[in-house]
Order: sequence, then structure tokens, then C-alpha cells
Amino acid sequence: MLNIKTKNRLLIFLSIFALTIILTIFLFKTLRNNVLYFYSPSEVSKTDEKAFKNNIRLGGMVKPGSVETDDNEIKFIVTDYKKEIIVTYRGTVPALFEEGKGVVAEGKLKDKNFFLAKRILAKHDENYMPPEIQESLKQNAK
Amino acid sequence: MLSNFGITVSIISLLLTTSILYLSYYDLKSSGNNVSKKIYKFAFFQIVFTFLGFITLIVAYVISDFSLINVYENSHTTKPLFYKISGTWGNHEGSLLLWINILVLFSFLFLILNKNKNKNFKLYTLIFQNLLISAFLIFLLTNSNPFSLLYPIPTEGMGLNPILQDPALAIHPPLLYIGFVGSSIYFSIALAALISKVDSKSLALTIKPWVSVSWTFQTLGILVGSIWAYYELGWGGFWFWDPVENSSLMPWFLMTALLHSVLVLERRIGLYSWVIILSILTFTMSVVGTFLVRSGILNSVHTFANDPSRGLFILSFLALMVFSSIFIFFKYAPDDNKNYKIFSKESFILANNWFMIFFLAVVLIGTLYPVFLDTLTGQKISVGPPYYNFILAPFLLPLLFLMTLGPKHKWISSDMIGIFNIALFISVILFIIIFLSIKDSSILMLLILLFSTYLITQTIFDFYEKFKNKNINLSRIISHFGFGMLIFSISLNQIYSVEKSFNARIGDEKNFQNYTIKFNNLETFSKNNFKSVKGYFEIIDNKNTTSQNLTPEIRVYNQPEIITYEASINTRFFSDTYLTMSNISNSDIFNIKFQKKPFMNFIWFSVLLISIGGILQFLRFEKKI
Amino acid sequence: MRKKYLVIIYSISIFVFFVLYLSLGKNKVYTTQDNIGKKIAEVQLNYFDIDGEFNTKEISNFKFTLLNFWASWCGPCRKEHKYLVELSKNSNLKIVGVNFKDEKKNALKFLNEMGNPFSILTKDPEGKKSVNFGIYGIPETILINNELKILKKYVGPINSKDVKEIEKIINK
Repeated sequence: MLNIKTKNRLLIFLSIFALTIILTIFLFKTLRNNVLYFYSPSEVSKTDEKAFKNNIRLGGMVKPGSVETDDNEIKFIVTDYKKEIIVTYRGTVPALFEEGKGVVAEGKLKDKNFFLAKRILAKHDENYMPPEIQESLKQNAK
Repeated sequence: MLSNFGITVSIISLLLTTSILYLSYYDLKSSGNNVSKKIYKFAFFQIVFTFLGFITLIVAYVISDFSLINVYENSHTTKPLFYKISGTWGNHEGSLLLWINILVLFSFLFLILNKNKNKNFKLYTLIFQNLLISAFLIFLLTNSNPFSLLYPIPTEGMGLNPILQDPALAIHPPLLYIGFVGSSIYFSIALAALISKVDSKSLALTIKPWVSVSWTFQTLGILVGSIWAYYELGWGGFWFWDPVENSSLMPWFLMTALLHSVLVLERRIGLYSWVIILSILTFTMSVVGTFLVRSGILNSVHTFANDPSRGLFILSFLALMVFSSIFIFFKYAPDDNKNYKIFSKESFILANNWFMIFFLAVVLIGTLYPVFLDTLTGQKISVGPPYYNFILAPFLLPLLFLMTLGPKHKWISSDMIGIFNIALFISVILFIIIFLSIKDSSILMLLILLFSTYLITQTIFDFYEKFKNKNINLSRIISHFGFGMLIFSISLNQIYSVEKSFNARIGDEKNFQNYTIKFNNLETFSKNNFKSVKGYFEIIDNKNTTSQNLTPEIRVYNQPEIITYEASINTRFFSDTYLTMSNISNSDIFNIKFQKKPFMNFIWFSVLLISIGGILQFLRFEKKI
Repeated sequence: MRKKYLVIIYSISIFVFFVLYLSLGKNKVYTTQDNIGKKIAEVQLNYFDIDGEFNTKEISNFKFTLLNFWASWCGPCRKEHKYLVELSKNSNLKIVGVNFKDEKKNALKFLNEMGNPFSILTKDPEGKKSVNFGIYGIPETILINNELKILKKYVGPINSKDVKEIEKIINK
């Protein structure tokens, strides 16, 4: 027979332990559901439909000469030298958005050739190139 | 000339630091009751020489001495004096020098302000603090020397990124550094207390003022950083859950936990080991943050020039620091006796600690998860704001509730005070009014609003009671009130924000909801260091037929050549109107983003209130002595 | 009991530090080292101060060519410039400069102050043509032989070690 003090302690310890486990599971589940995967245009063409449901980040180069602005939206082509994807976007672009430079667009794929961007990312660095793009370009720029 | 002087002064500081280490070590064995006079002298010279080094760099910036690579890379003769000075700590090397200055300042202040403490306790603290100082001085001299020479000497500097030429960003680093570098002193104190077996009451009294000071500055630093992001980044947000922002928030959680648990430690013995762990963790987390920011392993919207060798140094230092403090902790930590009553004030304060640790874990995992995944599996991901919002929001409910009730409890007693009181009644009525005026919103958001209203009204009642009973802690009331206000205004900000993006030519007019936006005109200006294209917009609110004029700008700077988009923000008491404009490849169509951001002033003001609580806490302590 | 905890905590922290260390090794600085051994892209570059264009095919006329991307506003370019001047004395090597996103006035001032190592100087005022060489930041330097093959590529300023390496290759 355990005395009351030890019993209480055990109870507190067990409940803290259980709570921690529940919280950890909850935390990682949310984390899983809310990460943004990074894709290059070639990876998009290889991936199955499941990538189309969630928001993703699409990275590559803005194809020189592809930017069009009309009364409603901005349209441009993201390329990784192998595959191209047409991106449409409504909103202001970051100051570093330029033809022939790297870009990361956040949003959803409509199909394998068409991307609806919600956000365009860039850094305050003149010579910035996001590492993800660097890697995918490195593999393709041969 | 300045280069040689700066390097010499830094080397002298390093020599003085090692001498203090040596003297302190030998003084441990001496029989006297006081710290040797010699150490005071050396500490005095240490702060003088370290400070001289910093002044030297500032002077180099002010007179634009481009023989220093650091000045050349980050300054320009045409820059205003204010930004020349702030340029000193706007880069890695200079900020490291500032970092060292704060370490030394806190070491010196600790020495002269704690005359009556146990001698060995003081000496050990000094030893630990000076070990930190010497490590960073070595880092400065061998890897990140701000006084490095450049030859031939260029006639003009490269300039400072215009986006960084901002008053908020100029004072942001010093504030934040006093905050998290300041936490080094209670790291040292905690380890020293373990070794010299200081009792819990005097440990609590020793670290309390330092915790309040660093916590206040950390809060202000985060505030100023958010204000800058809001004005300068042009996204209309003030917190992006960006890794760089997270690394300033993580130490803040720990400082907040410490601030509360010290209150318990002052009165009871129970939390001795816990306070020690928190103190060690706070500074560790500050260094972790610095590592993440400076090593370049993270992707962030805030860029820093990166260099893997820096990361390696900070990582090795961090490893050494963590392993030795864990070792010291396990060797010297006493056994705590844990007897709490469930509904006593301690439990409520401890509840705060549970929440802070949970928040810390959430943010830490969100920040490190992409790094780990990339390193271990090569998969590239980023963790967005939804993760943080989704996880943290529900936990605000119990936190707000405990913040309301907790402080009403007496120390070490177990009787439950009635939850139902006038404050709750009033807040429910207020909440119903709010509820009726909000059309659609999630239940969670509404509950958060209810609980924050409750916290606000309850703290107002507490404030009223304060006039009758002088013992009530005013600093707590103000900080908790500020926190309630913060959550309240952020929630309303989330609910009422309006955003509309569109493209427009000059002369276009857009209508949506209650607003009409007219793009009237475009003008170009030429200024000293930039050319600017200014758009003239008129925004008409059709509900109450008021109109505002906003003028967002596109600037092309020449030193260095950088384009920036300047948001135009019209701040009213209740709501900000926020307009940004961009343009691609000189087309005649402009991309416009219009935002209505309610309660921004309230958000800034409530964070300011939170930090005022920290100042009062510090003053309260000073009075007691 | 305590020892057990100590071991657990130590193992966890060693794991964390190890992963962080590995992540440091994952160099995120952009490199196009893969291009080494490949042929240089054929690009037309405008001359810096005279009319006309320089075609990268012409590089095959020289024994070795060093293609250097620089600008007056770039700090590291200033650091490497003395090495370029040093290399320009070698008769086996022609240095072709590409002035990147610069203002003519500033670029000329830079060359007057620091010396002009370039046999041929071209410009890329919008930074668009340099993309074809895989240039994203400056300075970058590419060593090419008369078969238009890329022998070496340096990202960031060249130093005395790189100079020795280049000299070794071209003096063979």
C-alpha cells in the first residue's frame, strides 16, 4: 500500500506525463498540416495531385520577357531551365522582383502548368538567391 | 590610425579580462570577507577600455574613415550623422562589439552594486561572466574584427541599405541586446549560486533587478522591431513568425517565466533549482538565437550577411556553454522540497511558467523543424504563421483566465475565491456589445475576446483597489492590463482588417465594400540620394463620407542602388489606412495594395504598457533596499 | 538517478548540436561549380565605352581568358582588384571585365583609382546578360581556355591563393 503522499506524487507525475504526450502529438500534427513544401517547376511536373490541395512554395527564375501586367493581375513564367509554370498574382510585388532573377511564390497549384500565387517573397538583399532555388537551378543549369 | 588604436584597445580589454579571471580565482582562497580592491580596479579599467573600443568605432563611422573595411562596407559620407552612428551596430562586427560592451557593463554593474553579498558568490559570478567576455573578445579579434584594414583606401563608402536607415531600426539592436545579452549576468549568477551554495532568498533578491531590466528592454526591443516591420516591409503586418523574430521571442518567454518564478522564490524555497535552470536557459536561448541568425542556416525575410565560420564559432561556444552548465548543475544542485497547495499563488505563478515553457517549445520546434528536416532528409519546407496561430490561440484562453484570477490569491493559502464577481459581470456585458457588432467570427476568437475583456476589467478593478490597499503590486496590474489590451486589440485587428489588391492606371477609380480609391496623379522627384515616383491617391469612405489622401512611393536609391517601395500610412486613433504601390518593368499599370488596419495604436501602446510594468517592478525592488 | 538524467540530457544535446553542425556544413552560398568543364555560354556583351559588341566566342582567340564580373559599388571587388592587376601582367592571360549594374562615371573613377587590369571591358548595366553565365552576385570570376571550356569558377573575391592557382594553370 502506497502512502498518500507518494500516491499523490505519482498521480501528478502521471498526469503531467500524459499531458506532455498529448501536447506533443497535437503540436506535431499541426506542424505537419501547416508546413509549406518547396517545389521547383520540374518537381511539380513529377509530383502527383496531392500537392495541389495544400499551399506550396514555388521557386525558380522569372523568365525574361514573360512578365505581363493587365488591369487585374500580374502574370509571369517561373522556370528552372527545364520546366515552366505560369504564375498569376494579384497584389504588390517585392522591390526585388525582376525578370531574370530568382523568385519564390506562395500559393496553390491549379494544375501542373498553372499557379495561383498569394504572396511573392524576396529579401532585402541585392544579390539574394534563396538556397532552395540555388539547388534546383544548380541541378538543371547544365 | 583608428584601426590600430581599436585593435590595441580590444587586446588590452582581453588582457584585463584574463587578469580579472586570474585574480578572482586566487581571491577565492584568500581569507578576507571582501572582494580584493585590485579586482575593482581591473574591472574599472576593463570597462573603460572596452568602451573606448566602441567609441573608436563610432568615431570611425562619424568621420567616415574608409580605411576600415567595416566602415567602408556599411557607411557613406552623405549619410545623415544619426545613421552614421547607428551604422556602427547595424552590421555583424559592430554589433558583436556592442554585445561585448553590454557583457562588460553588466559585469561591472554587478560588481559595484552588490557590495554586501557573499564574497565567493560574487567572485564566481565574476569568473563566469568574464569567461563569457573573453570568449566573445577572442571571437571579435580572430574572426569578426570591426577594425580590419582596407588598402588602398577608397574615397567613398558603399552606403547602408536604405531599408535599414530607419530610426526604429537604429535603436532596435541596442534595446534587444540589453535585453538578451543582459541575461548573461543571471546566467553567471545562477552558476555561481550553485557552486557557492547561496540560499534561495538571496539568489532571488540578487537576480530580480537584472531580470526586470533585461525583460523590460527585451519587450521594448521586440516592440520597436515590430513597428519597423510594419512601416518598412510594406506588408501591413507586424509579426510574421519569422525565424529572426522568433529568436528574439524565445528568450522573452523564458525571461517572463523567470520574472514570475523569482517572486515565488523570494518567499519560499521550493523553486531554487527551477530558477537556476531558467536563468541558464535564458542566456542559452539568446545565444541559440544569435547562432540561428548569424550562421545563415535559416531562411528569413531579415537578411544578415552570413559566414559559416562565424556559425561554427558560436556553435562551439554554445556547446561548451551548455555542456559545462549542465555538468555544474548536476554536480551542485540541491534537492528541492516540493510542497504546494493547489490553489495557492505559487501554483498560479507556476502555471505561468508552464505556459511560457509550452510557448517556447512551440516556437522553438517551429523554428528548428525546417533546419532539422533539411539536414536529415534534404526536404525543403517552411513553417508558416498558421502553425503558430493554430497552436497558440487556444492556449491563450486558460492563460488569460489564470492571469485574471491568479493574482487575487494569497501566498500559501488554499481557499478558492469566487470567480463570479462584478468584473466578470461587466466584462460579459461589454462582450455582448462587442459580439453584437461583430458579424462573423470564429468561436475561438470570440472566447479570446471575452477572456481578454475579463482580464482588462478585472485589472482595472484591481487598480481601483490599489488606492485602498497599498500592498498591491502596481507593476503586475499594468503589465497584465497591457497584455489583456494586446490580445484584445490583436483580435479586433484580425477581425476588422480589410485588404484589397488590384492593378490601376493613373485616373482609375476602384470601388469595393464601402471604399472608393482614386488614383489621381503620379509625380517624380529627385532627392539627394534617391529618385522617387510618388502616387497620389484619394480614399473615400462611403459610409461616413470622409476622404484621406495617401502617397505611396517607389524609390530608387543610388548608394547602393536599391529600389524600395515606401508604404503610405495614415494613422488615425482607431484605425490605420495603409497603401503600397509597386511597378514592374516601367509599365504604366501599377500594382496597388490597400489595407485598413484597425487598433494598431492600441497594439503598440499595450506592449509599451507591458514594459512599463517591468520598469515599475525594478523600481519597487530598488525601494526595498 | 541523477546520473541517468545527466546521460539522457547530454545525449539529446549532443544530437542537437550534431545536426546543427551538419546544417552549417550544408553550404548555402550559391555555387555553379557544376559548370566547370562545360563550354561557356555564347553571349553578346556591349563594350564599356565604345560602340559594338563582344561575342564570347572571341575568347577562343586567346590562350586563357579570365572573365571578371565587377562593379564600383561592390566592396569585395575592391579587395580583389589588386590581384587582377597582378594577373594582368601575365602575357598568357587576357582579362575580360564585365561591369555589372554600374554607373559609367563611378566605374571610371574606380579604374582610375585602382588601376585597369582589363584588356577588354564590357558592360551589363541591367544585370540581365550575366544571368547566362550563372552569375547572381558579384564579384565572380571565370577562367576559360581557348576551347571555350570553363576551367575554374570563383564566387566572391579572389585571393592570393586563387592567384597562385590561376598562375599554375596558365603557365603550364
